[in-house]
Amino acid sequence: MRSPTLSLPPLMKHQKWFLDPKWIIIALIVGFLLVFQVFPLLYLVFRAFFSTGKFSLEAFKRVYTYPLNWSALVNTLVTAFFSMVFGVLIAFPLAWLIGRTNLYGKKFFRTLFVATYMVPPYVGAMAWMRLLNPTVGSMNVFLQKIFNLSSAPFNIYTTGGLIWVLTGFYYPYAFITISRAMEKMDPSLEEASRISGASPFATLRTITLPMMLPSIIAAALLVFIAAASAYGIPSIIGVPGQIHTVTTRIIDFVYIGSQEGLTDATTLAVFLMIIANLVLYLSTFTLGKKQYITVSGKSTRPNIVDLGKWRILISLAVVLFALVIVIIPFVTVALSSITVNLGEPVFSEGNMTLRYWIRIFTRKSILNSSKNSLLSAVMAATFGMIISCMMAYLLVRTKIKGRKIPDFMITVGSGTPSVVIALSLIMAMSGKFGINIYNTLTIMVIAYMIKYMMMGMRTVVSALSQISPSLEEASQISGASWLKSMKNVTLPLIAPALVAGWFLIFMPCFYELTMSTLLYSTNTKTLGYELYTYQTYHNQQTASALATAILFIVFGINGLLNKLTDGEFSI
Amino acid sequence: MSRIIIKDVMKAFGDVVVLNNFDAEFPDGKFVTLLGPSGCGKTTMLRMIAGFEKPTKGEIFIGDQEVSSTKTFVPPEKRDIGMVFQSYAVWPHMTVFENVAYPLKMKKMDKASIKEHVEKVLEIVHLAQYAERIPSQLSGGQQQRVALARALVAEPRLLLLDEPLSNLDAKLRDSMRFEIKEIQRSLGITVVYVTHDQMEAMTMSDIVIVINHGDIQQIGKPTEIYRYPVNQFVADFVGKINFIAATSANGEVQFKNSPQRLPYEGDLKGDVVVGIRPENLRFIKTGGDLTGTLLSKFYLGDVNDCRVEIGGEQVRVIAEPKSFDKHTEGESIQLRVDEFSVFVDTGDEDHMKILT
Repeated sequence: MRSPTLSLPPLMKHQKWFLDPKWIIIALIVGFLLVFQVFPLLYLVFRAFFSTGKFSLEAFKRVYTYPLNWSALVNTLVTAFFSMVFGVLIAFPLAWLIGRTNLYGKKFFRTLFVATYMVPPYVGAMAWMRLLNPTVGSMNVFLQKIFNLSSAPFNIYTTGGLIWVLTGFYYPYAFITISRAMEKMDPSLEEASRISGASPFATLRTITLPMMLPSIIAAALLVFIAAASAYGIPSIIGVPGQIHTVTTRIIDFVYIGSQEGLTDATTLAVFLMIIANLVLYLSTFTLGKKQYITVSGKSTRPNIVDLGKWRILISLAVVLFALVIVIIPFVTVALSSITVNLGEPVFSEGNMTLRYWIRIFTRKSILNSSKNSLLSAVMAATFGMIISCMMAYLLVRTKIKGRKIPDFMITVGSGTPSVVIALSLIMAMSGKFGINIYNTLTIMVIAYMIKYMMMGMRTVVSALSQISPSLEEASQISGASWLKSMKNVTLPLIAPALVAGWFLIFMPCFYELTMSTLLYSTNTKTLGYELYTYQTYHNQQTASALATAILFIVFGINGLLNKLTDGEFSI
Repeated sequence: MSRIIIKDVMKAFGDVVVLNNFDAEFPDGKFVTLLGPSGCGKTTMLRMIAGFEKPTKGEIFIGDQEVSSTKTFVPPEKRDIGMVFQSYAVWPHMTVFENVAYPLKMKKMDKASIKEHVEKVLEIVHLAQYAERIPSQLSGGQQQRVALARALVAEPRLLLLDEPLSNLDAKLRDSMRFEIKEIQRSLGITVVYVTHDQMEAMTMSDIVIVINHGDIQQIGKPTEIYRYPVNQFVADFVGKINFIAATSANGEVQFKNSPQRLPYEGDLKGDVVVGIRPENLRFIKTGGDLTGTLLSKFYLGDVNDCRVEIGGEQVRVIAEPKSFDKHTEGESIQLRVDEFSVFVDTGDEDHMKILT
């Protein structure tokens, strides 16, 4: 018998290699990331071990034997660990109650908790230091009066206080991860358990929980690393209480400005980077594979567990939770922004004012910073989305070799703590290697892209993978070119995801604090940094007005995204 | 005792009524099929029997136990029911053995008896050698059997099957159909089976309940449903049928668009629709009940599938295969009608079509 493949002309094999535009795209993205992400990070590690020109562990010895650094290390691990534990303990029940039971106001709560994910965490720190200040905190004073206590019950300037605020602002990470996994789980898996004789609680214990375990661990790790690399909260709450963390120490060292300071910062950053990479490895490359994929036959509504006589009680508990964790802090910040004397109640005679609001819209430095933030966030989001779209196309629609390389790099970038990214850029991009973009907005935009681009990419990837390629093929067979098919069929279908992805990059960049703190110059101050300096050094009310304005923007955009995606919007 | 009585059950999701006055009794040990197009409410009925949905109105009894009414509601885990889901719902984090053992574990049975029971039921579904596998190592058909074994292991008083064969390929579907029927017969268990596939319904059921738009259309044995459909919907949904508009008077039905007629002794008068199944029309040489013109013929091997025009209406005829060479297209043809039904003309144009 003759084999038909033998007659293949030898040229055919090579033709594919000639100038496939996909290769050029991959090469461009990889090139960009190599220069601005991989090289700086590698150089950072190199610097830590070769601070004197040759290999030495001197810097490590010096840094890690210094007691203040040691306590910072311990504080970081302890606060991150407990935030992780409490975060998951809050997030799992909430996700279950909202996803699987007849809790009152499920939809509202879901939107609220997802929205808090987009709120800058330092807003929480600002609120809680007003509420639980050991002497004048308004919640402390209130509780003291009600329960007739001799002293304030809480002190926010403690490790416990730090854990409280970190948990309150990082549990949404876990909530979103767990909720999403729960939505993907075929409800008949739980129904099969009920019909086999298991009570709702036994079902939760023996089916739902074990099936969700990989996602729960992934969610836990996410909270851990977010809390460990947080800067806003520990710098506002921790520093006044002499509780240092690795991030605050790193930034202190950089601010010293000397070469030794930079070396010490680098050495500490390596520690943070190792933890982050370890977490990333575990959650993406080990757990990611273990997550059970279940194909559901038809889209049955999940069987709603009737909470019965507990329904009202549990709903009230969730209301209380939302009140304490979300509403009260936000209202506190909003009220601070219109209070003249923070020591007096806002509604007392002559204590209400709009002057701080007028200030944030008139003061030149604030307007300048806002402009910088807006500009760099728009650029980061736009360039980020261009790369995201190309990446999504390569990942979902092609089988081209090497498409996973930039995907991997982008994932690593987003898993790297902000402070490490910024530090590595400072060291590598200030002229030492031919590129000097230090003190420009460009360095800011690049840092933002490395950190937040993945949010956009994931959104587009998931939208595109839900569109069957046959839709594009049907357009091409009808006579439209590839480009026209994209424009007429694919683009309209993924448009909501494009908008959502753009905002998911834009939002965190717009109010970014950590990277900006390291990368700003006199002309490139950002909104986050401006707010932080007002909060810490000048005037808390002005900072509150800025924070409240940011809250309005966050919730406004969140509402817009919900509308655009018919309430399907999730991160 | 596991007959099911459903009394006047109504179910609405918000304003949308999906089931209306469902009133039926499923006798003990019978294979009952809920048959209907998708969205007709059959799955909702099944889920109400299982306890996953609460009826908006009405009562459900299993055996002598009232499981659902305005006053009582027995949750699924207390109903002593086995169920096979459309997506199999085999738990991916447990082995085949653990999956099947689960209902017994919930009954707090001791380990030795669990092992004995599970092995026995795995034997029945031909999975004995797969006990230690995890589900992702099994084919769809095998996962299906795990689901079936899990549903049967606790010897429930009732087995519910929700389109269990719809995710299997055609060959496997055929063999599973007979296997399920065989298991039901040997265990003598009451089965409620939901499907939109009339072939499954016909081959497996003792009783078929045809549902459309949330209303029961007909309850009967497969032969009754097929030979004596009560309305055009049932006739159309179960099997193939030709509809011809006619007028009934003086002991005959007179076709509206042609001078042809058939003798009819039934009670319906006035505007009617005559329904004739394609296999009840036969080509004969002379003295046919109807005459027509052969439009086209398709040789299918076991039958000869023809289109015949009778007085302006296109009619499908399933003729014996030998007839293929005897007639040519365009030829005038005599037809004998073995059996036909007459329905009230509801004016519903939906059914005036040749079903292929």
